[in-house]
Amino acid sequence: MSSVGKDSVGDFGRHVPALSSALRPRPHDELREWGGSPLVRRKRVLDLGCGDGRLALGIASLAARVDGIDPDPEAIGAAKRNARKAAVRNVRFATGAAQRLPYPDAAFDLVILSWTL
Amino acid sequence: MVDALVEIHRVLTPGGILVDARPDSRVPAYAERRKPRGFQRFGVVKTSRLELANDRASDRAITRVVREGLFKRRRSGRFWHRVPFSDLAELRKYLWEHQRFVHRAEWVVDSATRKRHLNDQFVIRRAVRYELLEALRSPRNISLARPD
Repeated sequence: MSSVGKDSVGDFGRHVPALSSALRPRPHDELREWGGSPLVRRKRVLDLGCGDGRLALGIASLAARVDGIDPDPEAIGAAKRNARKAAVRNVRFATGAAQRLPYPDAAFDLVILSWTL
Repeated sequence: MVDALVEIHRVLTPGGILVDARPDSRVPAYAERRKPRGFQRFGVVKTSRLELANDRASDRAITRVVREGLFKRRRSGRFWHRVPFSDLAELRKYLWEHQRFVHRAEWVVDSATRKRHLNDQFVIRRAVRYELLEALRSPRNISLARPD
């Protein structure tokens, strides 16, 4: 390990369901630790194992385009609802598995496995 | 896992970046009470055996695709993340339900201290590791028939 970053602290005093994306660091906190916005800016990004779209939607304003894929259709349904609610237009979500990605060769500049592998 | 990493390599442009980020099971997590300024350690929370095995399998898969020439390690690091709970009962419930951790913390304070602070706010502070890997242009052939 080459670096140890600062703590990222979420909001206190609210109930946290065990499988909620609220358990994860906030997208911009994660991105800052990974190297900051240049990693994503104007890039074509694939969020693999995107769940309810927490990270994909969180970084969409920086990226050229974000695709999110997850094997769980319910999670993808939630991600699409979250995208509509947030009025984010450069994000697409699809159901699928990492072993057979429905994208052409060299389609992305950045692939993110956040709490997935 | 290797087959997924090979597929990721296919959809990445040469020189593209793969970010692998996940909880760091190599260091323990901590149950901490929130104080007006800072935190007080109340216990240690270990990762479950199953998750430790999963993490080791993931590490082996990454090592293999690096060895096979699909990716080059660029940078890695670790940061701490706090999961908040409104009281000690909520933290205990989370440990009981959550598969990543063992179900009970190893307390480092006595039961009287825990009882005195039952209704205080708590966190689980855990390490998150990440690694950035660069997709290489001309990988050697990789045989998926071999185990990870």
